[in-house]
Amino acid sequence: MTMLGYQNKVLRVDLTKKGATTEPLRMDWAEKYIGSKGLAIKYLYEELKPGIDPLSPDNKLLLMTGPMTGTPIPCSGKLSISAKSPATGTINDCSIGGHSALQIKYAGYDAIIFDGALKEPGYLLIEDGNVQFKDASELWGKGSHEAEATLAEKYGHDYSILSIGPAGENLVTMACINSDYYRQAGRGGIGAVMGSKKLKAIVIKGTGGVKIPNIVENTKKITEILREDTLQEDNTFIYDYGTTAFLEACSDGGILPSKNFSDATDENWTKYNGDVLLEKRVGKRGCGSCGLGCGNFLKFENATVEGPEYESIAVAGPNAGIDDPEAIVKFNQIADDMGLDTISAGDTINFAMEMTEKGVHDFGIRFGDKVKYLEYLVLMAKREGVGADLALGVKKLTEKYGGEDYALHVKGLEYPQYEPRGSWGMSLAYAVSDRGACHMRAYAPNEEVFAASIPPYTAEGKGEMVYNLGVFNAVKFSLCICDFWATLSYERMAELMTLITGREWTEQEMKEVGARVLNIARAFNQREGFDRKDDTIPKRLVNEALQSGAAAGQKIPQEAFEDMLDQYYAVLGWDKNGMIPDDMICKL
Amino acid sequence: MKRLKFAKSKCIGCQLCAQACSAMHEGEYIPSKARINIESYYDKGGELKYKDSFCILCGICKKQCPVGAITLEEHIVVDHTICIGCGVCERACPKKVIRIRDEKSYICDTCDGDPACVKICPQNALTFE
Amino acid sequence: MKITIQLRGSLTKYFQGEKVRSVEVPDDCTAEEALKTVGIDWTAIRNFGFVAVNSRRVMIYDRLKEGDELKAYPKISGG
Repeated sequence: MTMLGYQNKVLRVDLTKKGATTEPLRMDWAEKYIGSKGLAIKYLYEELKPGIDPLSPDNKLLLMTGPMTGTPIPCSGKLSISAKSPATGTINDCSIGGHSALQIKYAGYDAIIFDGALKEPGYLLIEDGNVQFKDASELWGKGSHEAEATLAEKYGHDYSILSIGPAGENLVTMACINSDYYRQAGRGGIGAVMGSKKLKAIVIKGTGGVKIPNIVENTKKITEILREDTLQEDNTFIYDYGTTAFLEACSDGGILPSKNFSDATDENWTKYNGDVLLEKRVGKRGCGSCGLGCGNFLKFENATVEGPEYESIAVAGPNAGIDDPEAIVKFNQIADDMGLDTISAGDTINFAMEMTEKGVHDFGIRFGDKVKYLEYLVLMAKREGVGADLALGVKKLTEKYGGEDYALHVKGLEYPQYEPRGSWGMSLAYAVSDRGACHMRAYAPNEEVFAASIPPYTAEGKGEMVYNLGVFNAVKFSLCICDFWATLSYERMAELMTLITGREWTEQEMKEVGARVLNIARAFNQREGFDRKDDTIPKRLVNEALQSGAAAGQKIPQEAFEDMLDQYYAVLGWDKNGMIPDDMICKL
Repeated sequence: MKRLKFAKSKCIGCQLCAQACSAMHEGEYIPSKARINIESYYDKGGELKYKDSFCILCGICKKQCPVGAITLEEHIVVDHTICIGCGVCERACPKKVIRIRDEKSYICDTCDGDPACVKICPQNALTFE
Repeated sequence: MKITIQLRGSLTKYFQGEKVRSVEVPDDCTAEEALKTVGIDWTAIRNFGFVAVNSRRVMIYDRLKEGDELKAYPKISGG
């Protein structure tokens, strides 16, 4: 039966020919992968030839919504932006908040697929069915914030604007895509893919709608679910504190990284914690259809940002040896404007600090240097001076200068700010994530650190744990529903899918979709040549024990890590080399 | 007489109000056809601003309507058999929330005293009092 | 022995909205037992997270000393 919720239409934009066509959505694929993350990966798996250069016109940039996008399903406003990653060579699906997902859906499209590349910098204007290629020569070279402000002035604040900064234009492989000034599709160099297509911005306005069955009755049902489930206190803490709420838990948990992951506590954390940061809060904002409103709009004397999120605080705070809250907020603001992923950019500068201090290579910056920290961000975005080196990221820098003993990345994607020596399952999660070290695929700390009776410092049972977390998030991000609806369950997801599409979905089917998404992402990477040898644990975690905090004395033996990998592959039915067997691939 | 009230400090810009409104009246989630239009945005990234178009039951539309199509008791009612879609009400509305579509005027009717936008507003920025 | 108990997030409802209390608990008791004395049975709370003693995470069955600060968190997820 035809599922409602979808527009059943894909906008395909050929940037080389400057043409736009529409085609039906592959509903047979949507039956298996639903939308957003899962459906984007399926499209890329089918449409991309293996071995292409991610920065060539052969790569595709996919903006993918889900059936719930544009409906009042709580926390359904995120947009998947996906491509092959120039940072890692793996599949890369990003998730951006704000309002652009809804505009795309209301414009009448489930997805927008960008093929090829423009010859000159341009931006795309999409007003429902009307697609125009515009000249961006006046905007090229400008920060993302100035570009967005210019376009908002021209078209109106009700238009959604996705843009890149100088980092994306300069093909820096940690460049992001911005929207609503302070929301990002952050990791894996997604902004560089957009930059390689000379696409400065996408401006969208939709005046259409989304249909679901029994809309009056179902809207009442959704309102009930919003009030009784989404808005319970276990979820609403994110309105009050944003992700600053994680700082104390991670500090107590012994997993808050300091000085390039050389230790995992910071006695100064109260100088930049939620209490301090939120004193400067002047407003609240959320994504389209969000009930929770996680965005904190902060104004310091010289720094303004909606944020900062836990990752940005930790990477530019304790992990850089910095404890100045205004400097951390300024880092976030500049990174957003330059169009750089805060996690990868911060991690790279922190690595450079350690290299300098150890005398391996002088990058001219040491831990705690909050002034140079901000200058280096701009240099990285522009590939100028020392920024030309730093823009390469941790993996390429170790290939050039050494320092592998304290280089924290997997497959070339730099490490998020959760220390696995205090959460062993997280080392597995980072290793097997589909796009390199990512904390959003399987959020292990919640299961083994923020847990009363699960031991964090053991390999036992972690394969299954990471698998279960990964399946849940994979299907959740294919609907898609945001992480902050923490009390979401398989049962609830099935109920919402049934409500929106009019087709009966079961809990079991939700789990199957999740497992299928994990497998197709792996199949994509496998086809690019990835296997067990690339599911790695950084040397620091194996060789050096943490000095302080709850996990003091902990390091992860290589055998324990290998054991976790074995467990994980076994649960998924992959072979000992982490390869999916052919008979599984053909079912995808 | 109860009216819609809006506390912008509580608004998170989710636009669920416009979705609920259009669901009840238009059979789709289609904010462009909603009879309420509340948005928040960052002006040049530096200031959080709000656009708050909602019916405050001021009655100016009724006073200005040249054909007497609009009545106001507990809420606005537009008689589409009389309305000629001239647009005077749209231009006069101080909250810029009236829309002329297919030569007829569409104005908030408070869902007959039980507004859907108020029921769905997750942060209780919209109230009916 | 005397200890302080700090609650975070949705757990503060067990202290009627307060975050911290000084309490008397049996000598050498476990974190689990200490929470029981203030009416918190962690096994019955779906969203119970973890406990920390003097700002360091411990297991729920680890033992406390005089003057310890016991902190209890709900689960939190996201990034």
